[in-house]
Amino acid sequence: MSNFIYPLAHLLGGLILICAFALLSQRRLAAMITLYQFEAMILTAAAFWQGYAQHELALYLTGIITLVIKAIALPIGLRRIVKNFNIVRAVETAMPVGLSMILGVGLIGVAVWVVLPTTMSAVTLTREDLAISLSVVLLGLLVMTTRRNALSQVVGFLSTENGLVLAAIGMPGMPFVAELSVALLVLMAFLVVGVFLFRIREHFDNLDIAGIESIEKQGR
Amino acid sequence: MSIALLAVLVPLLAAIPLALAGSATSASYFNLALNAVTFALTLGVGFSPGTGMLHADHLGIIFGILSGFVGFTTSINNIGFIKSEQGRKSIRRWRLYHAMCQVMLGTTLLGLYADNIGLLWVAVEGATISATLGVSLSRTASALEAAWKYFILGGVGIALALFGIMLTYLAAQPALGPGIAAMSFNALTQHAAQLDGSLMTLAFVFLLFGFGTKAALVPLHGWLPDAYAEGPIPLTATLSVLLLNVGLLALLRFRHLMSANAAAGAGAMHPGPFLLILGLASLFLTGFSLWRRRDSRRFFGFSSIEHSGIAIFAFGIGGPAIIFGGLLHMLLHTLLKSALFQALTKAALARGSAAPGNYGFSHLRGMIATNKHLGWLLVICIFALTGLPPSGLFTSEYLIISQTIIRDPYYSLPLGAGLLLCAIAIIRQVGPVGFAPAPASAKPQKAGADIITIYAHLILVLLLAFAMPVALVTLLSHIADTLQ
Repeated sequence: MSNFIYPLAHLLGGLILICAFALLSQRRLAAMITLYQFEAMILTAAAFWQGYAQHELALYLTGIITLVIKAIALPIGLRRIVKNFNIVRAVETAMPVGLSMILGVGLIGVAVWVVLPTTMSAVTLTREDLAISLSVVLLGLLVMTTRRNALSQVVGFLSTENGLVLAAIGMPGMPFVAELSVALLVLMAFLVVGVFLFRIREHFDNLDIAGIESIEKQGR
Repeated sequence: MSIALLAVLVPLLAAIPLALAGSATSASYFNLALNAVTFALTLGVGFSPGTGMLHADHLGIIFGILSGFVGFTTSINNIGFIKSEQGRKSIRRWRLYHAMCQVMLGTTLLGLYADNIGLLWVAVEGATISATLGVSLSRTASALEAAWKYFILGGVGIALALFGIMLTYLAAQPALGPGIAAMSFNALTQHAAQLDGSLMTLAFVFLLFGFGTKAALVPLHGWLPDAYAEGPIPLTATLSVLLLNVGLLALLRFRHLMSANAAAGAGAMHPGPFLLILGLASLFLTGFSLWRRRDSRRFFGFSSIEHSGIAIFAFGIGGPAIIFGGLLHMLLHTLLKSALFQALTKAALARGSAAPGNYGFSHLRGMIATNKHLGWLLVICIFALTGLPPSGLFTSEYLIISQTIIRDPYYSLPLGAGLLLCAIAIIRQVGPVGFAPAPASAKPQKAGADIITIYAHLILVLLLAFAMPVALVTLLSHIADTLQ
C-alpha cells in the first residue's frame, strides 16, 4: 500500500487544482457551486488518505467535517441563495475569461517556482502538496478579483479555503489541523450566512458589489 | 487556571449573558463591571502568566494592561453613549453590540497573550468576525458595504496569514520536529537560527500580508477608514484601536525570527526592506489622504494607518533603541487615539446624536464655543496626534527619527517629510473644530463627569512620554533588546 501514498496524494491534489482552475473559467453561478462541491469532495478523500498515510485520527475528523459541511451543507445554502434571491445566473466578469485563465496559469507557475526551490530540505510529499495548495489559494484569490458578483467572490473565497486545508493536511504531524479547519469553517459559514443576513441584494443591486465604490466617490 | 486564561475567558464568556440582557442600559452597567474585572485581571497577569499555548510574555502583559485599561474607560463612556442612543436601535441590536464589545476585548487579549501561533490566528479571526458584526450593526447601506469590505479584505488577510503560519511550522521542522513545539513563539525564538531560512522568508511574505491587513498597512488598509466610520463608535473605533496592536506585535515577533535567522546566516532574507516600504507607503498615503476627509471618524482612521506605519517603520530599521521607540509609539498612540474617540463621541452627543454620519468636521465646528471643557480636550487630543512638541508622541517620534539617522540616514528624509505632511494635515483641523464659530443650532452644554477618563488617558500619555517609571523603562528596553 505504501507505494500508493505519494501518487494518490498527488492525484487528489491535482484534481483539486483542476477544479480550482475550472472555477476560473465558469461564468454560471450554478456551475461554480457544483465545481466547488466537487472540490470539497476530493478534499474529503485527500484528508482521509492523509489520515491513513500519517496514521492520524484527527485528519479523519477533518475529512468528515469537510464532507458534511463543505461538500453538502454549504452548496445547499449557496444554491438556496441563488434561488431565493433570484440572482442573475450568469456572472459579469471584470476581465475576459481567456485573460484570467492565462493569469491563472501564470499564478500556478509562480507557486511552483516559489515553493519548490525553497523546500528542498522538506519531505517530498509536503513539497508538491504545498505547491499545489498554494496554487489553489492563489487561483481562489484570482476568482475573487475577477468577479464583480458577491456570491461568486464567496465561492472563490471558499475555494481558497480548500487550498488552505489541503496545505494543512499535508503538513507532517501538524497539531490542531482539525481545530484550525473548524475555525476556518466558522469563517466560511459566517460568510455564506452573512450573504443571507446582510441581505446585500437590497443594497447592492443584485449582489453586484460595484456599490462599494460609491463610498469612495462621496469622498467622505 | 492562570490569570492570563481567566482574563481571556471572562470577556468571552460574559458575551453570553450580555447577549440575553433585558435592557440596553442594564447591559451597559454590566459591561462596565465586567471590563473593570477584566482590567483588574490584566493587571494581575504578571503574577500568573500561564503555561503552554497561552503564555503571556512581558510584551503581551504590557499591552494586555493597556487593552484592559482602554476597555475599562471605553465602557465608562459607553454608558452615556447608550443612554442617548438607546432608542435608535432595537434591544436585539444592543444585545449583539454589547456581546461583540466583550468578544472583541477577549479576542484582543487572546491575541496578545497567545504563545501558540495557531491560537494567535484564531484570536485574530474571532476579532475579525466580531468587528464585522459591529460594523454592520446600523444596517444602513453604507454600513453594510463597509462590513462586506471589511469581511472580504479581513478574510483574505487571515487566509494568507494561516498559510504563513503553516509555512512557519514547516520551516521549524529541522529544528523542532513535528508537534506542538514548532508552533510556539517561545520555542521558535529560541531556535530562530536553526529554522529553514528560505521557507521562513516565504512564510514571512504571507504573514506580512495577513497580519499587515490587521495592522492596516498600506496597501492593505482599505477596510479601516470605512470600518471606523460606520457602526457604534465605542466598538468599531475605540476598541478597534486595540486590534491594530495585535497585528503589529505579531509582525514584530515574526520579524525577530527573520532577523535572528538572517543574522545567523541561515538563509532568511532581512525583513527590514519589506517593513520599511510598507511603513513609508502608509505614512505618505495618509499624508495625502488626510487633506480630503470631511468625516472626522474617517479622518482619524487614516491617522491610525499613519501611526501603524510609523511603528512598522521603526521595526523595519531594527535595533534595540528604535524598537523601544516603536513600542512606546504604539502605547502612546493607543492611549491618545482612544481618548480622542471618546472625546469625539461626547462631542457628537453634545451636538445631538452619536450615530454614524454625525461626525463631519462641519458638524463638529466650534466645540469650544458651546462646550468649553470638552472642546479644549478635543483640541488637545487632536494637536497631540500631530506629534509636535509638547505632545507625548513627540518623544517616540524623536527617538525613531534620531535612531533612523544613526542607523540608516537615507531613510530619515522620507520619514521626516511624511511625518511633517501628516502633522500639517492634522493641525489644519484644530482651528475649525476648536475655535471657529459654532453652528447656530448648537446649544451650550456642560461636560459630564465621565470626561475624567479622557484626562486619565492624557495624564498617562504624559507620564509614559516624559516621566516613565524606571521599572517600565527597564522592562521595555529588555523587551526591545530581545526582539531587536
